[in-house]
Amino acid sequence: MKSKEELKKVAKFISDYATRLLGSGVHTSRVVRNSKRIGDVLEVDVRMTTFQKTIVLTIFDRETADAFTEVVDIPALPISFEINSDLSSLSWEAIDKLLPLSAIQEKYNQLIAKPKMSPWLILLLVGFANASFCKLFGGEWLAIGIVFVATLIGFFIRQQMQKRHINHFIVFIVSAFVASLCASSSLLFDTTAEIAIVTSVLYLIPGVPLINGVIDIVEGHVLIGFSRLIQACLLVICISVGLSASILLFKSSLL
Amino acid sequence: MMWVDILTDGAFAAVAGIGFGAISLPPKRAFKYIALLAAIGHAFRFTLINYMGVDIASASFCAAVTIGLGSLWLGAKIYTPMTVLYIPSLLPMIPGMYAYRSVFAMVMFLQHLSEPEMVEKYMREIFVNGTVTISVIFTLAVGATIPIFIFQKKAYSLTRRK
Repeated sequence: MKSKEELKKVAKFISDYATRLLGSGVHTSRVVRNSKRIGDVLEVDVRMTTFQKTIVLTIFDRETADAFTEVVDIPALPISFEINSDLSSLSWEAIDKLLPLSAIQEKYNQLIAKPKMSPWLILLLVGFANASFCKLFGGEWLAIGIVFVATLIGFFIRQQMQKRHINHFIVFIVSAFVASLCASSSLLFDTTAEIAIVTSVLYLIPGVPLINGVIDIVEGHVLIGFSRLIQACLLVICISVGLSASILLFKSSLL
Repeated sequence: MMWVDILTDGAFAAVAGIGFGAISLPPKRAFKYIALLAAIGHAFRFTLINYMGVDIASASFCAAVTIGLGSLWLGAKIYTPMTVLYIPSLLPMIPGMYAYRSVFAMVMFLQHLSEPEMVEKYMREIFVNGTVTISVIFTLAVGATIPIFIFQKKAYSLTRRK
């Protein structure tokens, strides 16, 4: 038996939990399952509808059949697989140990406050990733070196612009343009310039929304799945706009 | 020589997988498995395409299913959901060259609107490269997701520490 206040607290926590997961790039059915699992521990039924920017959440007290409904905004967070794994584990831990709300809440706060990977390390890893991508496509070593530098510059610009919360379409266009422009310097040398230009923008591919979109659609969450795919397609179009600008500049030497 | 080629391909795919994983902030314990899966998947596709004459879409599908099954097995070891392991491992298989060629053909198409021959040539290129790009990306995503449906119960409880 829960009072109105308690029910409200439970609803507040579950809505925080679900929107945090959705904002961090977790596919819908996992979010729904995890939230229901947490609801089971706290003896409430959780029913939710998800959209791209909001969720509608209803919580039923199993004894009194009191309900609490709210519409919650999904925050725009960076994609984080660590949050995905940790918060999924938390829901299992809660049900295996039958934790009370206060304990779950405390663990949740600890998990989301974990320090993140250093942006400089990510920058370096992405540089190496794109350089080896160039090798996979059959690029020569000079082209690989150029791609490495171009990616470092492009990704650094992306990180700086994202830090300043600039519109992400603009971020993608500008970083694709800068990266492919830097990679176009390979046209000056006798090397696999085309491959260098292609691979220099691949670090921008929005892989997580693309694949999550497909997963959501095949699992029956068609609406949000399509929203994610449309979002991903728009980003891919932005990459091609940036890339096209470089192609237009150098089209005579690329043919 | 064949084995050297396959192994180098896997090694570079592993580096690519780690880097693309890092963008999405995975837990540190996941990195070695992301690298392993990316290497296995890409080297498998490389072998299928170059030594067995399989087309790129079918080969990508086989590689994606392999990665999906691998992520189911390894995910249980380190308590991470399957998607955490397989999304970064799939990314090195994105058909970047085809995607670039369709964008390039699109740009050139719009530059030569008054020349019917060039229009035809670039239209064909847009269609061919665009179709390959879209079908490969789709088969990658679906292929890796199939194990979730076959082993639903296991896939849904990978993060349970018990």
